Amino acid sequence: MKLEEKEIHLADLVLAKALWPYIRPYVWMLVCSTLLVFAGIFFELSIPLLIQKGLDGFILGSEGGGSATFLGFHMTEFKGFAVFFSLVIVAAFVIDFCQTLFMEYSGQKIILHLRCALFSHMTGLPVAYYDKNASGRLVARVAGDIENMNEMFTSVLVFIFKDLVLMAAIFVMLAMLNPGLAFYLFLLVPVILMSVTGFSRRVRNVFRTIRQKIGEINHSFSEGISGIRIIQTTGSKDTFVNRFRKLNEAHFTAAMFQIKIFAIFMPFIGFFGTISTAIILWAGSFKVMSHQMTIGELVAFLTYMKLFFRPLRELSEKFNLLQNALASAERIITVLEKPRDLQRITRKRTRLDTIDRLAFDHVDFSYDGETPVLKEICFDLQKGESIGIVGQTGSGKTSIINLITGFYRPDAGRILINNQAMDAINIMDIRKKTALVMQDPILFSGSIRNNICPPEKPLGGPALKKVLEQANCHFLYDRFKGPDTLLKEGGRPLSAGEKQLVCIARAFACDPDLIIFDEATSYMDSGSEQAVHEAMNRLMHGRLSIIIAHRLSTIRHCGHILLLRDGRIREQGSHQELVKAKGEYFHLLEKETL
Amino acid sequence: MKLILPYFRQFKVQILLGMVCMIIVDGAQLIVPQIVKSAVDVLASDSLDRAMLVRQCVVIVGLGVVMTVLRYAWRILLMGSARNLEKGIRNQLFAHAMTLDPAFYDRVKTGDIMAHATSDINHVRMAFGFGIIVLVDTLLLGGAILAIMIWTHPKLTAMAMIPMPALIFFTRYLGKKMHDFHTTAQESFSQLTEMVRESFFGIRIIKVFNFEPLVSERVNHAATDYYKKNLKRAVVTALLRPLLGFFFNISSLVILIYGGTLVIQNSLSPGELVAFLQYLGLLAWPVIAIGWMTNLFQRGLSSLRRINTLLESQPRITCPDKPVPIPRLNRRIRFSHTGFSYDDSAPVLSDINLDIPAGTRVGITGPPGTGKTTLMYLLLRLYDPTRGEILLDNIPTTGLDPDALRSCIALMPQEPFLFSTTIKDNILMGRHLDARNLDRVIQTCDLTDTIAAMPGGLDTLVGERGVTLSGGQKQRLSLARALVEEKPVLILDDPVSQLDTRTARRVIDGIFHLTQGSTCFIISHRLSALAACDRIYILENGRIQAKGSHADLLITSRYYRNAFAVQQFEETNET
Repeated sequence: MKLEEKEIHLADLVLAKALWPYIRPYVWMLVCSTLLVFAGIFFELSIPLLIQKGLDGFILGSEGGGSATFLGFHMTEFKGFAVFFSLVIVAAFVIDFCQTLFMEYSGQKIILHLRCALFSHMTGLPVAYYDKNASGRLVARVAGDIENMNEMFTSVLVFIFKDLVLMAAIFVMLAMLNPGLAFYLFLLVPVILMSVTGFSRRVRNVFRTIRQKIGEINHSFSEGISGIRIIQTTGSKDTFVNRFRKLNEAHFTAAMFQIKIFAIFMPFIGFFGTISTAIILWAGSFKVMSHQMTIGELVAFLTYMKLFFRPLRELSEKFNLLQNALASAERIITVLEKPRDLQRITRKRTRLDTIDRLAFDHVDFSYDGETPVLKEICFDLQKGESIGIVGQTGSGKTSIINLITGFYRPDAGRILINNQAMDAINIMDIRKKTALVMQDPILFSGSIRNNICPPEKPLGGPALKKVLEQANCHFLYDRFKGPDTLLKEGGRPLSAGEKQLVCIARAFACDPDLIIFDEATSYMDSGSEQAVHEAMNRLMHGRLSIIIAHRLSTIRHCGHILLLRDGRIREQGSHQELVKAKGEYFHLLEKETL
Repeated sequence: MKLILPYFRQFKVQILLGMVCMIIVDGAQLIVPQIVKSAVDVLASDSLDRAMLVRQCVVIVGLGVVMTVLRYAWRILLMGSARNLEKGIRNQLFAHAMTLDPAFYDRVKTGDIMAHATSDINHVRMAFGFGIIVLVDTLLLGGAILAIMIWTHPKLTAMAMIPMPALIFFTRYLGKKMHDFHTTAQESFSQLTEMVRESFFGIRIIKVFNFEPLVSERVNHAATDYYKKNLKRAVVTALLRPLLGFFFNISSLVILIYGGTLVIQNSLSPGELVAFLQYLGLLAWPVIAIGWMTNLFQRGLSSLRRINTLLESQPRITCPDKPVPIPRLNRRIRFSHTGFSYDDSAPVLSDINLDIPAGTRVGITGPPGTGKTTLMYLLLRLYDPTRGEILLDNIPTTGLDPDALRSCIALMPQEPFLFSTTIKDNILMGRHLDARNLDRVIQTCDLTDTIAAMPGGLDTLVGERGVTLSGGQKQRLSLARALVEEKPVLILDDPVSQLDTRTARRVIDGIFHLTQGSTCFIISHRLSALAACDRIYILENGRIQAKGSHADLLITSRYYRNAFAVQQFEETNET
């Protein structure tokens, strides 16, 4: 039991430690918030006192000419008192408003900082991480989880601190009133602490389950809606609705469990309060009888004790929020502690200005260390040349790209750039000179200009126009607003072919030495395909290029062609050579022309 | 309201019982101080009645136990009902979402519907659960105190209520502002989410083109925008509670001054004034709670309204009151002057006339975006034509039950979509097929080897939490899904675009073999895949430009001839 407690404590500490760097710059804000909270409490408590003074001094005291002293202010007239009272009311209002606002402000500020830090950290994570995790879940980190933590900074932390201080103060008061009786109460503290920690552990587990189920519910909706055409045309609506019902039921069960835990814990704290009252009344009565304390002290003790248990209950209620926030913090920390792309960080690497040569030397590769994806891949590509890679789906074509762009590293063999091992070169330098055009034309919402200009050297009007012309993007001027065309989510309103042309323009704009086409024309009709091919050829001129395709027509003009099957190079040579060899390539070609 | 009334009715016993428990707890809470008071009174007379003290302590502990049990009970009863409500509405929402037609989802974002199912339902639940609890507490407590105050001194009570109109006005005003700012903040949040999603989706491009600083800056910008909008909301939120306290303190001041004058004039006893001020102090909590509750109910209500709007949105495609039974025999499909537009402005399809006897294999080709897919959606009644009609054995499809119609048409959609479940479930989609036939389908789609290579065979999970499939594998799985049931009409939308030529050939042959006798529509850009069709239509700009067999079209259609030549030229070996 004790060991377990320690573990939990440690886990919380680890969380706090990991989050600390993000909170530190704003600590002064949190401190100010806390001070403001105390100021607020001061005013809150002083108003009843003022009423008391006013009653005693002016109304109940002498007729007409009374006086009241409050915090050194001495008031001799009722009118003056009323003004003072009004001022205190206004001050209380202002302080309370400032405190709430400031707390909200500092919380939001921390969250903003954390969110931006998290996002830029995530963009630095290796591609392998994105391949392993569904993007929806990653988005939830930056969006939902951060949002959850907001609560922690805006209300929970400050109030927990306030409640703890309040409890400590009350306890000191109690001890001063009567150490003997306070000792009885002190005996209760470990029991309370134990139940609070036990409770917090349970609750966090439950919150985790609930959040996970909500995630699945969200997923069900998104999947059900994206697949609505399939669901409706295969008549499987009921299957899906039933599956959802089950999931929803599981969420309900978890939620009910959470309610149960709270329903046991919260009244339990109340029960402690009642029990203590009985104990103190019992023990106190004897003390009074033996003249160890006065009745007034006993009454005061009982009154303060009630005050002692109120923050405790509030504290546990805040726990509700805190646990939720901590569950989110856990997930954020796990992401933040994922190491960034190693090759990016290393600084002492050889600089690279141009890529003149790219070679694979007996490269082996697997994603999981077990199932080999590439075996013994060798090729050599010089400036001005192009290599075509064909093969069936799953033969390892795309994995070659993943290696060249440094998304993954080979298990064995070497990749050489300008006769130097790729490991010794800063991957950012390589990427700066590399352009990639993928099967799905990926465009971001925003202007065409933002989509194609490299961030470090924005292109001016004429240069940009030239790039767009080279990439066959005349249509942007004909039908849209040129480089200022605004794209919506998913590249709308461009068609698939047009999007691909813009992607080629992006490649032009970064003026690469090495250009990679990954099945760049597979979604296209013949007309657009021709436009894309034209632009591709223009782009490839005088550069190193790698073209991946499953259709032979796309690559037949490449100087060198690799035919891949099951991760190995089965045949290679020029188009003519491969045709003459009458091997697999020739068969493929025959089938395709049928 | 209509939406949650049935739940009130269903759980009325639980809710009433929970309320009773709460009231008893509230009462018991008041008894404990009374016992303490009487015990102290005994002590004050300088005597100690041991038996009495034991009895008093036992009663206190007993009350403690009772309160614990009752508190447990009302939490379970009231909050449990709220969770039940949440579950019920969510089930309703999902079932409804599955009946809406694709046209609806063209207009509404998925993220928005998801927000309905989570945060909106949550708001409703909070209003329903906590709302009731706070309502009972405040009404009971506040009402009792107010009654006592009026009974003590009606005129003074009236004076104390002077700030009330201002309080009501400001709470309403701030409530409305809060709602508005909340909405704008929510919008900014969804923009931020979309930006993050997009960045993660295109991570490869971002990395290769070194766009990291750019996207970080963009997200920074969006996050800052959200932050600013949140602060705006925070100003209003931060104003509400202190304002309540402020008005409350003004009441105190008014009573002190007016009551004080009364006391000085000897028309009010000092004791009464003190008691009055104490009652006012007790009123503080209900007043604050009312503010909180207003917020809770307002959010709950606006969320409920949103949910209701969604639940009330009807699919445009509806089953007629008296659907004509699906004809059994002939199944000739006729498009008669069919036209369609998604947004009532630019027509996607116009004046389509097709007459297709049962068992025909129809090829459809044409440039992208000319309405090929839409044409097939019309046949399936995923959308209804805006002009003309589609006839199945001379019965307009709008007269048929859409579910019944779809039960005789199999579709393989253009974008292969996989659900995150096993391969087998993805193919079967809850339908039944014996192992032998399933094998046959899998073989036809050239999936036998693919599945054999999977770690768990047919039971391998795919999608989010399972293995990732290549485009071609997805396409073949999607094809297998369409072939599970032998239906009289089969629609294949670009079935082989991601397959290499060899596989494509084999798959198409297999399909034709498996579906002999069925009417079959194939949409493809690859003309070699259409060569075996009985007739081919060329769609351009939403109109049928040409029709005929492969051989006919090579002669009659310039588009077809050119496209085929380009493909042929590229595919043929020059030497």
